[in-house]
Amino acid sequence: MLRDVAFAVTLVVFIVLLAVATGLGGLGPLPPPRLRPLAVNVLNTTYNPYYAARNFTADAPEAVTAVVWDYRGLDTVFETAVFYGAIIGALALYREVSKRVEESRPRGLSTIVKVSTAVMVVAIAAVGVSTAMHGQLTPGGGFQAGSIIAVAPVVLLVVFSKSFLEKAGVRYAKMVALRSAALVGIGLAALAVAIAAGAMGCWGYVLQNQPKPDAPLGYPPRALDVPSGGSLMVFNVLEMLAVAAGFTVVFLVLSTSEKLAKEEVVGEEHGY
Amino acid sequence: MSSLVSWILVGVGQALVIIGIFCDLAASIMMLRLPNFFARLHALTVGSVGGAFIPLIGAALIAAGCDFLGPYRWFMAGGAVVTAIIEYVLAGAGTHAIARAVYRAKAAPLKPIVADKLAEDRGGEER
Repeated sequence: MLRDVAFAVTLVVFIVLLAVATGLGGLGPLPPPRLRPLAVNVLNTTYNPYYAARNFTADAPEAVTAVVWDYRGLDTVFETAVFYGAIIGALALYREVSKRVEESRPRGLSTIVKVSTAVMVVAIAAVGVSTAMHGQLTPGGGFQAGSIIAVAPVVLLVVFSKSFLEKAGVRYAKMVALRSAALVGIGLAALAVAIAAGAMGCWGYVLQNQPKPDAPLGYPPRALDVPSGGSLMVFNVLEMLAVAAGFTVVFLVLSTSEKLAKEEVVGEEHGY
Repeated sequence: MSSLVSWILVGVGQALVIIGIFCDLAASIMMLRLPNFFARLHALTVGSVGGAFIPLIGAALIAAGCDFLGPYRWFMAGGAVVTAIIEYVLAGAGTHAIARAVYRAKAAPLKPIVADKLAEDRGGEER
């Protein structure tokens, strides 16, 4: 009882002190409410079909996705490559184990949980795909979508089993191939306008999205009458595939049974 | 006419939210006062179905009745309904999974107990 009272009093004192310190300006000078010039520039150009004969616009209402894949697209391509490499590091640790198939057949959780999970996995995948496809319209993008989709195999691993996932086609080799193909796709989509411009004999840039004054080629700004952000939609979908497959293959490898993992390191205690 | 429908929607929605508040309050009291783990699981489900599913449906009705929100009210109502359905499906499944795991692992004492139908089905073994 005394402990509970002491705990409650401590909590109240802490909250009051924090509130007083914040109220007296403990956070330091706050930023001014008006927009900074960089933000004004981005907001003016991110979706502006009417501005200066469409010279500098990403054609995407979602400024964050436009900045990520258009204004600083090269940075994001390298981020994707870093993510790709990080997962290679994780896979290298399990390189022997990951090729083998589990012999045991775990039954998973009960039917009630399995049925509700099966419904939810479809919903999770739908949310992920729509996050990627609407990345140029609403908050979210390729990485977020891939992370959402990667929840589905985790839930399936827990509720069903690893062998169920592998029987359903979510296998190590397939996932590695899928994420490699997605990374190659991102590279090709980045080079597409430059290659096409070179073939047609005009000027073009790597990672070019919309036409520029000196480079007349670009991605189509609309898909089915909705602003597609040109290359943003392509990048978002490919990034979703790369991230979802990457996380899935790591989860698959991490769920290797201890028995199988120990077989591979047998003899290490003797020093060979 | 449409304003009358809106008023009814908002009224029914607010009634559902009040039911939800009552369920949440009851669930929190039960969580503290019920005697053992399996009985407290009942409080968990009262809180997640009665205290989340029902007020979410109420929120959807309130949003649908708020004409001043324009077409955006359908986004809000749709989001609330989808969340409610997910909550409804997963609350029961989650509670079931917890109960089953704890029962099979014998992680919680079965006292006080009224009936153990699972043990009776397996031949009346006591534990």
